[in-house]
Amino acid sequence: MPSARPSRLPAVTILLVTTVAPLMVGALYLIFQYAPEERVMGAVQRIFYFHVPSAMVAFASTFVLLLGSVGFLWTGRRGFDYLAIAATELAFVFCTLVIVTGPIWAKPAWGTWWTWEAKLTTTLVLWLLLAASMMVRGQADNREQGARFGAILGVVAALDVPVIYKAVDWWRGQHPVVFRPGAGSSALDPRMRTAFLVAMGTFFVLYTVLLLLRYRVAAVEDRVRDLDERLA
Amino acid sequence: MREGAPPGFLRATGAVLLKDLTLEWRTLDALSAMGLFSLVVMVVFSFAFDRSLQQQIGSARLVPGVLWVTIAFASIVGLTRSFHLEHHRDSITALALAPVDRAAIFAGKAGANLAQVLVLEAVLLPLSAVLFDFDLVAVGAEMLLLVVLHTVALVEIGTLFAAIAARLGRGEALLATLLLPASTPVFLSAVLSTHHVLAGEGLAPARRWLLVTAGLDVLYFFVAMLTFEFVLDE
Repeated sequence: MPSARPSRLPAVTILLVTTVAPLMVGALYLIFQYAPEERVMGAVQRIFYFHVPSAMVAFASTFVLLLGSVGFLWTGRRGFDYLAIAATELAFVFCTLVIVTGPIWAKPAWGTWWTWEAKLTTTLVLWLLLAASMMVRGQADNREQGARFGAILGVVAALDVPVIYKAVDWWRGQHPVVFRPGAGSSALDPRMRTAFLVAMGTFFVLYTVLLLLRYRVAAVEDRVRDLDERLA
Repeated sequence: MREGAPPGFLRATGAVLLKDLTLEWRTLDALSAMGLFSLVVMVVFSFAFDRSLQQQIGSARLVPGVLWVTIAFASIVGLTRSFHLEHHRDSITALALAPVDRAAIFAGKAGANLAQVLVLEAVLLPLSAVLFDFDLVAVGAEMLLLVVLHTVALVEIGTLFAAIAARLGRGEALLATLLLPASTPVFLSAVLSTHHVLAGEGLAPARRWLLVTAGLDVLYFFVAMLTFEFVLDE
């Protein structure tokens, strides 16, 4: 037997899943009821409690992707590949959230859906790289090849992201900045801070849960493929 | 070379480089495709930005974008051909089986691609000077430096991705999807540096860009050298 039959969910996963559900409800309460309305921007400001944590999670996931990719190329162990698959897809999902929530906020606040500012542009480029990576995995002849190419792209994407951010920052720096997001946010209302921190925590717990589950699914998929090949 | 001993890194690099350049010299396959393609793109751009618009915004603002978009697209056309032959005759397996460091195969391939793209640029730059009316001779030395610096980064990452695209049996579309987002910093740097040079400000205002690009040249080189062997794995 190549590996033991995937057993029931490990205790830590069950614990996290049961934690994240009430956490999400609590975070929603804090975001929409507890936190006060922002005076200048109004209700639309509350999107930040989703937008900023999504962005943090997306970039954290890119870091996990780097670890998984390097680990896989270094050791060839499939576990690292499952981690890379999970991190790629989750980074993509949270990047999508960032890209969708950003313009919804930007239109009323900045008066425009989109601006080629460093954070926005970097997120978009990262999104494109992750999409390309998933495409390459999908087009690979076999899973070994997909894992190798996915890992290579993961390394390139993760190393590229800081450079892209800095480059776009400088590039924009040469033009007049019309909008400055977050100016004068130093005096944050403590209730806003609480809501924000809880939202951030919730997003990271949610991310961990999804990462663990996706990892397991990748492992099971792999096992099914192995069995399929042995039957063939 | 000693009888029976596998060739060293430089020798293997040289062999791959020479093989690719010889093939290209005999067929002019990639160069003719890249040359004609970039000519078409240039002409389309010169229609898109008509004379009055060109004079209005000036060549220093217009040319960098036009030039680097053309170079980007043309290199994709050229790079796709880089592993075309190997893929179709499956000689990439033979290359992979050769008892040499696989990084040397990458270095040879990238070197040949670099030579081809540089030859293309040597034609493209005077052509754009004619079509978009700027004085290339006055800024020749600066242009040479910045074009080489940025092309190196572009070709390194491009060769790695071209190998992946060829392995998957896909052409330009996949390579473009991979290469264009990944080389965003290279193109931003290239466009801005070219702008400074064409505006007569020299390379000084673009110093930190050139430093970053030199850093990317090194970073991409090592990343590609280290990961290329996994592209060749079967």
